[in-house]
Amino acid sequence: MSATMVSQHIPDLDLITSYAERNDSFFSKVSPWTKLGGLVLVILLITLTRSLAICSGLYIAILAVYYLAGLPIKKLFAWCALPVLFVLSLVGLLAWSEPGTPIVSFAVAGVTIALTDNGVLLVFTLLLKALVSVTYSLFFLMTTKYEHFAGMIFRIFPSPLDQIFLMAYRFLFLTLAMTGSMLKAVRSRGGGLVRSIRMQGRIFAEVFALVFIRSFERAERVHTAMIARGYHGSYAAGTAIPRPGFVGYGVLGAFSLIIAIVVWMVPNTRGW
Amino acid sequence: MAHIHLEDGSFSIFWVIVWWAAAVILVGISLYLLRSGEKTDSRKITIAAFCTAAAFAIFQIEIPVAGGVHLTITPLVGILTGPAAGCLVVFVVNIMAAAVGHGGWSMIGANTLVNISEVLVAFCLFSVLGKITKSPFARAAAATFGALVCGTIVMVGIIIISGVQGVTQSSATILAGLSLVVAINLAVAALEAIITGFVVTFLQKVRPDILGGKQGNSGR
Repeated sequence: MSATMVSQHIPDLDLITSYAERNDSFFSKVSPWTKLGGLVLVILLITLTRSLAICSGLYIAILAVYYLAGLPIKKLFAWCALPVLFVLSLVGLLAWSEPGTPIVSFAVAGVTIALTDNGVLLVFTLLLKALVSVTYSLFFLMTTKYEHFAGMIFRIFPSPLDQIFLMAYRFLFLTLAMTGSMLKAVRSRGGGLVRSIRMQGRIFAEVFALVFIRSFERAERVHTAMIARGYHGSYAAGTAIPRPGFVGYGVLGAFSLIIAIVVWMVPNTRGW
Repeated sequence: MAHIHLEDGSFSIFWVIVWWAAAVILVGISLYLLRSGEKTDSRKITIAAFCTAAAFAIFQIEIPVAGGVHLTITPLVGILTGPAAGCLVVFVVNIMAAAVGHGGWSMIGANTLVNISEVLVAFCLFSVLGKITKSPFARAAAATFGALVCGTIVMVGIIIISGVQGVTQSSATILAGLSLVVAINLAVAALEAIITGFVVTFLQKVRPDILGGKQGNSGR
């Protein structure tokens, strides 16, 4: 368990960074712009389609790419637990009132509540869409070097948004490590998060504030060190980012074409 | 807390674009306000970056209640950094959260709007309450609770206006379905208000400069 790992079910930034820097698969050599374009197209496709078959096919394809890139499959499934929980907790509530053929039904205070086939289909479709998005995002994060991300952020976002983004990424490791330590301290004393807050709210808040202040002081030290090295409010990240090659443009073009065909020509595919 | 825990593909492309555009406009206004003043203070950027990292870390701590809820500290961000920098902070936090599957990429616009409403209300209430009470706990707790109630209303409003792709129910039925989520959010809002109250009280004692050198007078 690395210092920045808050839970087994939350992506471990240390591990993600390690894969991003050390992975030498074919996909690590692909231009980050191509992968970013791929992300936009994947999100566009799952936003436009409501077909369970298309979402399933896309998920299998992205999972295969993730596996071929040599990324950890077991970790991926563990990290997907939270997005799955989010979908089930919110869409799972709405699914019970969907019109359709009832599968399970019961009465509460005279009101019949039914889970229908359409409700189940809704949950599965949105679940697959979530898995597609999360898997591709993690693939992107774990096959792209930090210097390339920093360069992209510097080019995409205007100042001072880019400065906040780039510095936040650096502070993130400090803050997550501190948060992880705090959680370990709570658990090692037999406490749970809810129980600790309920029973020792003030102490918990002061520990939280102390973590906040200590992290802030560390951030200030980093800031002072940066000023000593010539930082004056502009953090330039001028690393050259590999441009998409002919193959990259070809893949993005083909994917765009597939989306157009799928959305406009396959019956009963378009979203609302 | 208020954060739309829906993933990509939940909203239609029309509403994704609408919420993204609204968020980009607000972020653009914040950028303009920050850049139109005197030379951007690098320390303010450091505080904003730190708040971004802290908010993202807190986002990740799920309290295991009804599918998982979490604190956001967006009201605290509003109190500490002010509305302009706060808007940028929540935008970046939502991008980072989407990257690890905590809310979708297409939901960044909607979630940023929810969080911006919390930042703005917290900042305004915290400032206004300074004329009524000098207790940092009371000001911070009331500002946080008010902000999170507002955030919850905006969140539910966005979901009802946008609808969820595939859900064919009426707005009233969706609202009934979301009532449990709202109830849990309000309970967690009360909890977060108390914690933020203690945190601000503690900060006031040991590092008042973080709060702008005097009670709650953080920068813009």
